[in-house]
Amino acid sequence: MRPKDRNLIIVAVVACLIIGVMAPFIASNNPDGLEKTAQQISSKEESGVINSPFTDYQITLLGDNPFSGIIAMIIGILIVLGLGYVIALILKKRKTKENSE
Amino acid sequence: MHIPDGFIPLQQCAIYFIILIPALILSLRWARNNLDEKMVPLMAVLAAGIFAIMSINIPIPWGTSGHMVGGALVALIFCAPEAAIIIFTLVLLVQGLFFGDGGLTTLGANVLNMGIIGGVVGLYSFKIFRKPIGKVPAIFLASWLSIFLAAEAVAVELWLAGTFPLQAGLILMGLYHSIIGILEGILTVVVILALEKTRPDLLSWNQKRISNAEDDERK
Repeated sequence: MRPKDRNLIIVAVVACLIIGVMAPFIASNNPDGLEKTAQQISSKEESGVINSPFTDYQITLLGDNPFSGIIAMIIGILIVLGLGYVIALILKKRKTKENSE
Repeated sequence: MHIPDGFIPLQQCAIYFIILIPALILSLRWARNNLDEKMVPLMAVLAAGIFAIMSINIPIPWGTSGHMVGGALVALIFCAPEAAIIIFTLVLLVQGLFFGDGGLTTLGANVLNMGIIGGVVGLYSFKIFRKPIGKVPAIFLASWLSIFLAAEAVAVELWLAGTFPLQAGLILMGLYHSIIGILEGILTVVVILALEKTRPDLLSWNQKRISNAEDDERK
């Protein structure tokens, strides 16, 4: 990996982790726009088809607190980062090697 | 604006998955022809970033909250809504599976709203507004529109599902997301300007000539 790509990843991951650490403190407990609309004009209830291990960005085992929220966010960020990298690698262009730099 | 399980009847969920299939095929084809090796890390960090911003509900007035989406951002960076479709399919799948955010039966509808509509509206409205109002205002307006129209699409889908009445759904979803759209616009402008400053090589519009040549080659 080229150093400037490594820097991009480091900067972006640090930014994501900062968001993740702040998330439990700044995220609002108010319903989001869709949930609020549903409360106002609909009687439908949401019904999960599976039990997610980190429902509402909390780790069930650790209970409902900011620490649990931070860990859940960090796990999520790393899962998506890793899967994103692997998927992009699999999908990327297969052509002759071109050396841009 | 993640639609949870239970809000859309299963037959209708199936329709959204059927829409998703050709969109994914087109997107995979796009990646095979256009996704450069050097864009791989960018794609990964954008996916992580989108996950992070979509997980945080920022308080807005009227006792509600909302999160930024980033569909326009991804489509603008890659000059391709296909990139948004790939990233949102991944992120929404992870959010639905592990975090109970957005349903799995409604995954097709959620990718349609945030990835396909978000990406297409973001990129093409930017192209329309870029000349008349300038680049930065166009980025802002395009990303505002992308989240606003995605929210209105949710309202229409939930009306078809028999969950929301049409008019009230359009008004409330539009109202809440017009506020969130302002944050979305600011975020999109900031990230694109930061990339323009530090890594202009990663913005696809700076490589336009190259990709146009490749497009011609393909045809």
